[in-house]
Amino acid sequence: MKGNIALLTVLGLFFLVASAVYTVWNVLATGTWEIVGTVGILLSAILAGFIAFFLNAVNRSQGGILLPEDRPEADIDDADPELGHFSPWSWWPLVLGFAIGLAFLGLAVGVWIAIIGIPLVVIALVGWTYEYYRGNFGH
Amino acid sequence: MDNVTNASVASRTLVPMVNRPNPVAVGTIVWLGSEVMFFAGLFAIYFTLRGAAPEMWAAEATKLNFPYSLTNTIILVSSSFTAQFGVFAAERLQPRSTGWKPTQWGMVEWFYLTYALGAIFVSGQIFEYSQLVSEGITLDGNAYGTAFYLTTGFHGLHVTGGLIAFLLVIGRAYAVKNFGHKEATSAIVVSYYWHFVDVVWIALFLVIYVLR
Repeated sequence: MKGNIALLTVLGLFFLVASAVYTVWNVLATGTWEIVGTVGILLSAILAGFIAFFLNAVNRSQGGILLPEDRPEADIDDADPELGHFSPWSWWPLVLGFAIGLAFLGLAVGVWIAIIGIPLVVIALVGWTYEYYRGNFGH
Repeated sequence: MDNVTNASVASRTLVPMVNRPNPVAVGTIVWLGSEVMFFAGLFAIYFTLRGAAPEMWAAEATKLNFPYSLTNTIILVSSSFTAQFGVFAAERLQPRSTGWKPTQWGMVEWFYLTYALGAIFVSGQIFEYSQLVSEGITLDGNAYGTAFYLTTGFHGLHVTGGLIAFLLVIGRAYAVKNFGHKEATSAIVVSYYWHFVDVVWIALFLVIYVLR
């Protein structure tokens, strides 16, 4: 994770400098301030810096215990990760995908299709969110 | 079970156990990074049109109701604080209140309050739109209207999506028998999203209503 933090921090700083260089160069060359580029590059800096900031906060919250990838003496299988809960067979993402497809198809070719699609989006969203909260999986 | 041994597993204590970063939280943050760039596109639209027609901006921006929008902004910002108190409750693994005082509130109560504040914001924005349309600023009227409704409208859609997310998280708190870390995680990542949308609004407010 330290590698990720370093890479994203460098990237963020680069965009920060690039934004400043762009602005100064632009003003010197044209005499006017073109804001779009300044803001766009600045937000690119935020894109990278934001993730770096979050990973750094996670890293520090671990109380000095480094992840296996940050420890030179760790073995590969030490990083065998506990990835969390992933459904092995859920159909809901597929249903949600088709439903969103219908809703947007409706916006493009005829609103009546969207009127069918949007309730399906709601059903798929609720079905997916509560898949592991009912029946056998209630906890 | 005589032929089964776990000796080789037990002897490996070299590397301390560590909880890996929560993939839901990290994934949410990376996705919010991409959302930054989505709004970067909207800001680019706004500034490009503004740069092309500064006199139109000078004329149309005077129609904005600054005190009204400031009030709405304060409502949205306060909803971020109530959302955060809901997260603190979720981190205590306390879904429901133990008394009527706000210090005893659980996640559900705080999120209901957040939902109400967010809903007031969206309703207020719809009312503001109707006012502006009556004053002649429309989506297809001129470049100012297009830029204004695209930026604030996409933000409003994000707030609406956040409201739906809050409802789903509140529903989960009712659906579970034992409120655990999984439920707390969904509360936390929805709050990340909410804070993000809040910060984007502050930027939009500064650009559209203050900078003009």
